Amino acid sequence: MPEIKVTPLGAGQDVGRSCILVSIAGKNVMLDCGMHMGYNDDRRFPDFSYITQNGRLTDFLDCVIISHFHLDHCGALPYFSEMVGYDGPIYMTHPTKAICPILLEDYRKITVDKKGETNFFTSQMIKDCMKKVVAVHLHQTVQVDEELEIKAYYAGHVLGAAMFQIKVGCESVVYTGDYNMTPDRHLGAAWVDKCRPDLLITESTYATTIRDSKRCRERDFLKKVHETVERGGKVLIPVFALGRAQELCILLETFWERMNLKAPIYFSTGLTEKANHYYKLFITWTNQKIRKTFVQRNMFEFKHIKAFDRAFADNPGPMVVFATPGMLHAGQSLQIFRKWAGNEKNMVIMPGYCVQGTVGHKILSGQRKLEMEGRQILEVKMQVEYMSFSAHADAKGIMQLIRQAEPRNVLLVHGEAKKMEFLKQKIEQEFHVSCYMPANGETTTIFTNPSIPVDISLGLLKRETAIGLLPDAKKPKLMHGTLIMKDNSFRLVSPEQALKELGLAEHQLRFTCRVHIQDPRKEHETVLRVYNHLKGVLKDYSVQHLPDGSITVESILIQATAHSEDQGTKVLLVSWTYQDEELGSYLTALLKKGLPPSTS
Amino acid sequence: MPSECSLLLPRVCAALADPRQSGSDDTCLEKLLDWFRVLTRLDPTVSLLQDNPCLTDFIAAVLALPEPSLSILSFTLRLAGMLAASEHRFQHLQQEQLLVRLFGREGPLNSALWEDASVRSGWVAGVHSMMQHQPALHFLCNGGGIDVVFALQGDPSLFVASAASQLLVHMLTLSVESETTKPLSTVDCDWPACAQMIIKHIEDSLQSSSASHVEHSLKLLTNLFGSCCTPWTKVLWFSIAKHLESFLTEETVQAQHKLANLLLKMAWSPVFSEADSRFWALVTSALECFTPVQAGPLAVGVLRLYKCPQDVRMQALTVLLQPMDCILRAASQPLEYAGLLDESVSDPTTVESLLSSKSSCAGLLCQTLAHLEQLLSLIHLPVDLPYVSLLRSLMAILQFCNGSLSPASPLGNTISRILINCFRVQKSALDVLAALSERKGCDALIENLFDILLAYLESPNTSPTVLKKAFQATSKWLVCLQELSCSNSQWQQTVKILEAVFLVLQKRLCSPCWEVRDSSLEFLTVLIKYLRDQDEFRQCLLSSEVPRLTEDLLEDPESYVRASAVTAVGHLAFITYFSPEPPVMGNQYNKENTIAKLQEILSTDSEGFPRRAVISIFTKWLRQGCTGQLEDTEQFVSRVIQIVENDLDWEVRLGGLELVQVFCNQTVCQLGLPKCPYAPVPSAVTSSGHQNQSLQIFCRAKLFGFLFHSLCDCDKPLGQRACDILIGLRSHFYPTSTLKASQAVEESPAGHSVAWLQRTLRQGALAQNFPIDGGDGMDFQDPESMMLALGTIDFEDLHSELNRCSDHVEKSPQSLLQDIIATVGTTEENEADCY
Repeated sequence: MPEIKVTPLGAGQDVGRSCILVSIAGKNVMLDCGMHMGYNDDRRFPDFSYITQNGRLTDFLDCVIISHFHLDHCGALPYFSEMVGYDGPIYMTHPTKAICPILLEDYRKITVDKKGETNFFTSQMIKDCMKKVVAVHLHQTVQVDEELEIKAYYAGHVLGAAMFQIKVGCESVVYTGDYNMTPDRHLGAAWVDKCRPDLLITESTYATTIRDSKRCRERDFLKKVHETVERGGKVLIPVFALGRAQELCILLETFWERMNLKAPIYFSTGLTEKANHYYKLFITWTNQKIRKTFVQRNMFEFKHIKAFDRAFADNPGPMVVFATPGMLHAGQSLQIFRKWAGNEKNMVIMPGYCVQGTVGHKILSGQRKLEMEGRQILEVKMQVEYMSFSAHADAKGIMQLIRQAEPRNVLLVHGEAKKMEFLKQKIEQEFHVSCYMPANGETTTIFTNPSIPVDISLGLLKRETAIGLLPDAKKPKLMHGTLIMKDNSFRLVSPEQALKELGLAEHQLRFTCRVHIQDPRKEHETVLRVYNHLKGVLKDYSVQHLPDGSITVESILIQATAHSEDQGTKVLLVSWTYQDEELGSYLTALLKKGLPPSTS
Repeated sequence: MPSECSLLLPRVCAALADPRQSGSDDTCLEKLLDWFRVLTRLDPTVSLLQDNPCLTDFIAAVLALPEPSLSILSFTLRLAGMLAASEHRFQHLQQEQLLVRLFGREGPLNSALWEDASVRSGWVAGVHSMMQHQPALHFLCNGGGIDVVFALQGDPSLFVASAASQLLVHMLTLSVESETTKPLSTVDCDWPACAQMIIKHIEDSLQSSSASHVEHSLKLLTNLFGSCCTPWTKVLWFSIAKHLESFLTEETVQAQHKLANLLLKMAWSPVFSEADSRFWALVTSALECFTPVQAGPLAVGVLRLYKCPQDVRMQALTVLLQPMDCILRAASQPLEYAGLLDESVSDPTTVESLLSSKSSCAGLLCQTLAHLEQLLSLIHLPVDLPYVSLLRSLMAILQFCNGSLSPASPLGNTISRILINCFRVQKSALDVLAALSERKGCDALIENLFDILLAYLESPNTSPTVLKKAFQATSKWLVCLQELSCSNSQWQQTVKILEAVFLVLQKRLCSPCWEVRDSSLEFLTVLIKYLRDQDEFRQCLLSSEVPRLTEDLLEDPESYVRASAVTAVGHLAFITYFSPEPPVMGNQYNKENTIAKLQEILSTDSEGFPRRAVISIFTKWLRQGCTGQLEDTEQFVSRVIQIVENDLDWEVRLGGLELVQVFCNQTVCQLGLPKCPYAPVPSAVTSSGHQNQSLQIFCRAKLFGFLFHSLCDCDKPLGQRACDILIGLRSHFYPTSTLKASQAVEESPAGHSVAWLQRTLRQGALAQNFPIDGGDGMDFQDPESMMLALGTIDFEDLHSELNRCSDHVEKSPQSLLQDIIATVGTTEENEADCY
């Protein structure tokens, strides 16, 4: 029975790094290739040695698909393609292809900067990897090979994020990546066709949460920044180069404009220009509001946000600074934090999560006395705020997407086991479909029941309709014919046509059976008794006694010979064709019962 | 264990065992185990448990929980296993009845918790860690635990199944190597009890009708022969040989891939010599019986062996070359070329049928080509490959793939229809082609080969990834062509090919696709690197439009391309401006213009890649002595430093420091100081005169401001590099004995500012704005102050401080323990969040 197999190497009952292997109709696809930022050794990458025990990765995998540019979805890609040795096609959307290398490069710089890191990719590797990427448009059906096709759908979440439909023949899987079902300040809501896939693989980060509106969180953020600046404090917002940074920039820019604020806002990475360039370039991927206002004013051309110079950190007076990296674990953001931490007027706002082993993680868990290098103790007096701006679908959104796509099965990834369990039950109850939640390394097998389209020859169709009723689309009908599988297509034709097309000769298959009868008479007399018996029983059939001594009943042939060792036993050799299988069986059964007593 | 950690550990254990806590994130638990792994390895005594009773209390507390969290239970299993790795601690934990409750029948393995893969994984990992001594071995075998491990080989989790297989290998090795009393013999083999159980299990599974059981055993044996090379493994081989042999005769067994893997590991094991005829006979028949796809990896593995029976090698070679042979025969007229193989030794029917099927053709070719590339990448090939025929076959594949060859033979016709536009095969074939360029003897085909390569470079159908490979192959073969034309003086052919290459390159440099423009520039740079000394090459290049187009690409919208253009322009300069006989060129190509352009990129380009490329090219020029006399070089370096010292990208600043380092070495060398013992020293110049002169040059070039500023940079690698350079300079200006004591520095005005500098450096990255041009009286261009600074600042101390990773404090065990304690009671939202 055809099956779809799914094995998460990452994102199986966790939110660490996504990497999911899907095997569909003989094709193997890797969905996302993420990195775990919580480790600084090989554990940060998925263990690719499990993909195939035999042969090369490139031969095994038909393609890799990246859903969006976040590092937990694409961070291991250069490692996979340039260090592990995958040399096949990689697909992602145009914005993801443009932005992904910026984030990879940013993270590489931070990693190298920290020292003590091993086995990490270089700039050249990131470039070489990106050169292998094939960029796709939304709703464009891309033929990976003759059988495998993929199609991207809008996922919201971040610029360029996409859900992917993977299709082989009539079997299909939809992978959501991360998505958001409610539009936000610059992106629209995720949307997918009613494509009824065999399997929907969906993220489930907020599987049990109904999130408060993002608007509230944004208002809260602006209020806090405003209050700090008003009292003359400095605000540090540690970010990664792209993504949330741009979102928050739009937010502050609009607010500054509206409130006519004068405190400077700085962006420290030097990447703003490129990031903004891409936001401008991919304006069609943003939401309607941004697209509409684009004609009058480009949201990504910031009037108030200026490039940061290292010397500014010591300037007196209020300011807001966006600095990388986002977890306060090296470089500029950490340096600024150390300079500002001692002043209670200042504030640090962490807009994303921080892994253990970073200063960001420490202050978020409430630690206020931090040991620094050289046994110095840094007392954190500044205010510490955490504001999650991550844009994932909540429980309601996930259910909404399932309703949209109408999958036959659902598989949950990218979430916590307990929450998944709850959502799984809800999905099974509401939609009456099977829902799975494999852990990393566990394979889920889903059996599919694909309907395979077959072309029928006109001749055969005419013949069938001549003997039976006209075909009715709503009623299944049994048809007889010869199935020809050739050049990836199926055709049902009459046996004669099949023989002709394939240049084959016809062979007759006859079934034979020997029946022993006790009859001491001569052979021809036995034959005559048999003939009379059959003629009496099979009144509706044509029973003939041929001159050569044999009997025929329709296509069935009966011949009698004396047993070589026992003349009192006669052997009846019965043979028939496939078409008369039923009659042949009936006849042998009849003869086995013996002949009626002779009347003569 | 550090005392700070001992103090924190009880609270950590309490937090982890508290079921009300939502649980630490998995990375914390993993890192905690990393730390315990180090601790338990360092000290095998029981004191770790005695000094920290909270550890056993923790294990007991977790066991007492009615519903422990799965991650904590898994962690506990792994921790207990690590602790029990030493015999003393094992006994201690046994006395407390903890091990039996964790790993025995009453433990998690008979509860509903066992359903969870993380618990099973923790159990296997725990047992594996513990399995370092005989008591542990007996504990598991006598308690029936070994049956659990056998069963786990078929676990639905790949991770658990693989770990169980590894564990059995480890147990078998431990049992044989620690419990065998007399040498094992093939005749009367007396395996120790535990080993006996495992071997019996292997034998039973090999005879089992269940395909999965057979596979598990083959996998286990593969792991064993891959990791253990001791002679007893050969004894084991004798017990399993008949089963393995039967797999080749019984067609019902479908484990060819796994068997091939096993045979490969065995072939590579030093315990099998050429004389082991039974083993090699098995390998030979496997090579014969398996399909080419199954046999391929085994064949290439055998061919990489230096010692192997000749007939096995021939069989392996047949497997590897057969697809290439079929291609060659399919592509050529009958009797045109001899194939790669003698038809009498190989039956091509199977390979032909695979090659004529759409579903298998590309797969088989890609695998074969990858194996060939693997072999060709070896410096010393243990076998002779028929290079010329291979090249012919490769050329045929490439022609099939671009539709330029459609032979009359039915097979050729089918293959050509299947392969047309097949990128996978194109890429693999080009990889092998590049590797083949290193091998000699293919001269006669070189012209035809370039026809094919040029067709690929020119064709609009060539995909960017294929084009990149075609460039790589072309550059390698161009180097061969040059060597060839040097030896046979056939310059005309070379010039013709080069002209054609540059014509294609001109087009490709204008491609709308950035990947193509970038690969073209990279190709050009490689060509210049290898061929810049050849007159024909230089002439062809300079008479083409390529140099102009390359310069135009300095303004490309894509930063990757701009960076590659910078590198290419930098290399072009070696054959234009910096060449001993510069060619006559138009006005637009003058040295000053190019340098100015690159400096402009360095100061204004909005992205790091082009700026990094510029600084690295400048350093390369400086290294090769292209920047003129010392005075010009000083000005050049000074100008560059001023541009890069405030660059936002720390790697550009680091590039600046590299430039400074090269400049310092060269200056010192040029002025004839001992750093460079072979440099000519003008006799009239005294040593101290040199020192003065070089110090003045460094001060004038404003090196010191940059170097000292870098010591306080928030990006660590800069501090380290600057410190290295300053230590080098100090050793140059101060022989060790003349170093001044630091307490006397404040007496003079210079001393006052050096003292300020010392204080500032101690603040490191927290230092307030660092004044480069005079601050607190500090003059970085004053030779006297700089000399004093070099002599008094403790750079070694600074160096060791800078050499630690910037988050070493946050990564320490103490910090980890604090973090775990601090996360107790934090809101769930923070933990659940992600990007």
